[in-house]
Amino acid sequence: MSEPIVLQTEKREGTGSRKAAKLRKAGKVPGVLYGHKETTVSFSVDHDQLVALVKTGARVIDFTYETAAEKAQIMELQYDYLGKDILHVDLKRVSANERITLKVRVDLRGIAPGASKGVLDQPLHTLNVECSAISVPDSIKVNISELQLGQSIYVKDLTLPPGVKVLDDPDAIVVHVTTPDLEPAAGAAAESAEPEVIRKAKAEAEAEEK
Amino acid sequence: MVKGNATRANRVSYGEFGLQALEGGWLSAESIEAGRITMSHAIRGEGRVFIRVFPHKSITAIPAETRMGKGKGEPEYWAAVVKSGMILFEVSGLPEAAAREALAKVAYKMPFRCRLVSRLAGTT
Repeated sequence: MSEPIVLQTEKREGTGSRKAAKLRKAGKVPGVLYGHKETTVSFSVDHDQLVALVKTGARVIDFTYETAAEKAQIMELQYDYLGKDILHVDLKRVSANERITLKVRVDLRGIAPGASKGVLDQPLHTLNVECSAISVPDSIKVNISELQLGQSIYVKDLTLPPGVKVLDDPDAIVVHVTTPDLEPAAGAAAESAEPEVIRKAKAEAEAEEK
Repeated sequence: MVKGNATRANRVSYGEFGLQALEGGWLSAESIEAGRITMSHAIRGEGRVFIRVFPHKSITAIPAETRMGKGKGEPEYWAAVVKSGMILFEVSGLPEAAAREALAKVAYKMPFRCRLVSRLAGTT
């Protein structure tokens, strides 16, 4: 479970893309806090501080704004087109005794013995979970050290931290070791990669014109 | 040159690591195939490769030493329209070092500047 992390924010004057662009140029990220039928708060936060916070994997943070402090869940992070810089952050107020739903990363632990003969495939990289706002797991750890070729680990097989409930289909495959696909001939693949052109023969077209 | 930035297909969605285009342009079917062959040689049957682009666009050309007129040229090759930020290839089931090495070899075959990206931490 992640420790509470404090996000220091400043009051944001005005709204709109121009003001937001000015803030980003000054090394800050615009954000908004909403929820619990209270007033929506527009704020700005230091970009580097936010990036460091995101890298820790924290999902519920202690939000400080002027003199007020409250718990908030990171709802959405908007990135630029390259996925490098954070453009905007959405926070939602949560209370300590509230149960929240969010996506949590699946963390594979160990080396699957079957992967030497087959291909380790992970169809589910994240899981939709319901948990208490103060005990959000950083990730769901899945031990794959006994996974042989042809075996699968399903959602129902996962060992979850106490108080965490998975909302995904229990029969969904999280990770499995499959037999490798046979490599198709290079020429055949090149032909199939191009759509087939349907066109009339030139002589046929000329005859039609006449 | 293709204008604009990718607003979709710009995140690693299937694998753990991906090759991201940093410039826009047309990626020919031959280049995609060259990348696929290079990748399959580099990973030697391990892991799984995802090709995120498909050559939907036909590119026409008029043969050399042809007089003007007489209509549009015939399709010469097929290409995928790539915008800056698009993920071209993805790979899963490989350790980071092996994935980096394989994608660097694929990047060498691409007609634009590329970079290696991984799934964004904390954005789940």
